[in-house]
Amino acid sequence: MRFRFAAAAASLALAAVRASAQAPPPQQTPSADEIQIVIKGGGERRLAVAVPTLYAPGTAALQAKVVDPFTGTLRSDLEYAGSFAIADPAHYPTGSHDPTTPEEAARWLGTGAEVLVDTRGEVVGDRVSVEARVWDLKSRKLILGRKYSGGATYVDRIAHTLANDLVKYFTGKPGLFLSTILCVVEQGGTKEVAALDFDGRNVRTLTAHKSISISPSAGGGRVAYTSYVRLFPQIWTMGLDGGDKREISTGLELNASPSLSADGSQIAFAGSAKGNTDIYTIAAGGGTAHRLTTSRALEASPAWSPDGRRILYTSDLTGTPQIYVMDAEGTGSRRVTFAGNWNDEGSWSPDASHIAFACRNEGDFNICVMDMSSGQTIQITSDGSNSHPTFSADGQKVVYASRRNGSTQIYTVDVNGQNRRQLTQGANHLQPFWVP
Amino acid sequence: MKRRFSALTIVALLGLVALPFAAACKKKAPTTAPEARPPVTSKPAETPVAPPPKPAPSTDIESQDITNLDIESLNKKGYLNDAFFDFDQSDLREDARSTLATDAQWLKKHPSVQVLIEGHCDERGTAAYNLALGDRRANAAKEYLVSLGIDASRIKTISYGKERPFCTESSESCWQKNRRAHLVITAK
Repeated sequence: MRFRFAAAAASLALAAVRASAQAPPPQQTPSADEIQIVIKGGGERRLAVAVPTLYAPGTAALQAKVVDPFTGTLRSDLEYAGSFAIADPAHYPTGSHDPTTPEEAARWLGTGAEVLVDTRGEVVGDRVSVEARVWDLKSRKLILGRKYSGGATYVDRIAHTLANDLVKYFTGKPGLFLSTILCVVEQGGTKEVAALDFDGRNVRTLTAHKSISISPSAGGGRVAYTSYVRLFPQIWTMGLDGGDKREISTGLELNASPSLSADGSQIAFAGSAKGNTDIYTIAAGGGTAHRLTTSRALEASPAWSPDGRRILYTSDLTGTPQIYVMDAEGTGSRRVTFAGNWNDEGSWSPDASHIAFACRNEGDFNICVMDMSSGQTIQITSDGSNSHPTFSADGQKVVYASRRNGSTQIYTVDVNGQNRRQLTQGANHLQPFWVP
Repeated sequence: MKRRFSALTIVALLGLVALPFAAACKKKAPTTAPEARPPVTSKPAETPVAPPPKPAPSTDIESQDITNLDIESLNKKGYLNDAFFDFDQSDLREDARSTLATDAQWLKKHPSVQVLIEGHCDERGTAAYNLALGDRRANAAKEYLVSLGIDASRIKTISYGKERPFCTESSESCWQKNRRAHLVITAK
């Protein structure tokens, strides 16, 4: 029988969200009008894992080049995942690692770990191969065995791949460790679209328009964004590596905040004619733009649902910007947010059960997460002015931009408000979008 | 005095020439100045030319010689002034209407001039919403100029939202500077 932590871990974070959001309201107000602030939730169970140093006998140079980066990355990934806790390496036993005997297993259980992730590496020339064995310490059974190989210069990617496999095995959800986050980097008056790894490393610029290029979103392996490179703002698409750039002519003005559908076939965007901004869609390959909203109010910030059937958007129809949802044909529109006087930049969780958005009542903007079936909403940030949230592919984290002390940087946080991490430094980094 | 008169004449004549020209070719303005005079009628000159009349009494609006200025210098001269807005508003305030009315008079005197109205917003609020708001502001300014008799084909609009602020501090005085419809001359 496979050791399955899956069900528990997968729903832990969201369960915590629900539990805290379900605190009984003191009076009879509609739940949708209330935002619970959850910053220091907690109490969720993490699987205790022992991750001993990669066993690869060799020189000190090998230690620095391969062993340390691999072990450090693997531990850091598992900590970040939110479902694991790394047992303190200071207490790891030395010697044989295979916990097949009760004595050997007991030595590892003594570290507090339930699971042992044993890795052995071999370096031949510029290639590294790593054999990973994952043991359930109580049953002393080998539950996962995999071999990985790759270039010695990117052992961190081997560690990320193993970490992804561990997350997938124990939680049933996709790992995030090879995922990409798009963003906008502001430098010297220009804004360019860039991409970075999930941990903020490896920032690479995807555009060089030397203009204002903003609002990247991705779907079907393509990126859509708005650029002022031709003076008037237009929608562009490109590959995730920045190649194959194409200009899309809509016949409209503004052409702002393009959202690519998950299959990459359609773009929803905010287009304008004579000062009235509405939501339009257009085929990603170009064609005729279709107007979906018809009010005199201001509509902006469309976001396709993962199944491509609905579109989330913002309208100031009632006097303040609020989030609405409609079907992909523009019918069946319904207001979603009621609390606060400014809600915008909505985005869907991968299973469409929740949305994240920039929310404000007074003062600074925060990030809110709403359960779409109950309308219950929690605020998951409290510092700085926060904007532009999107979910990770496992639905457990949100990436967003936060402006603090005049500098805007990208952060990730678990959907329960825990485990906050700053990914970027230096130049302003804006409008992050976690590529699904 | 004499120089001023001749400059005025050239501008006035230029306007006459430029009007049909501008209608035929919206973007391009004549670049040759004195040569572009209309042909003189064939009447023989029998009487001495009367001394030039005195220039019209100065009004609040003066016609400036823009023939020798390039577009960049023209914009630096500040002939056109910007309209400012309240927070999260695109309605024209009284001061904005008055500024735009003055702009409209100047534009009437320089009928070949084309303008781009940029809508700008302060840093508060989301980027996407501010782009739409900037679009509203630019169009509100355009509509007002059109209502004052300026041909809509002479005015283009663009929204920069909060992407290209004039002032980057987080203060009300700075925010007010950023909430504007900024008029830029793009052709003369």
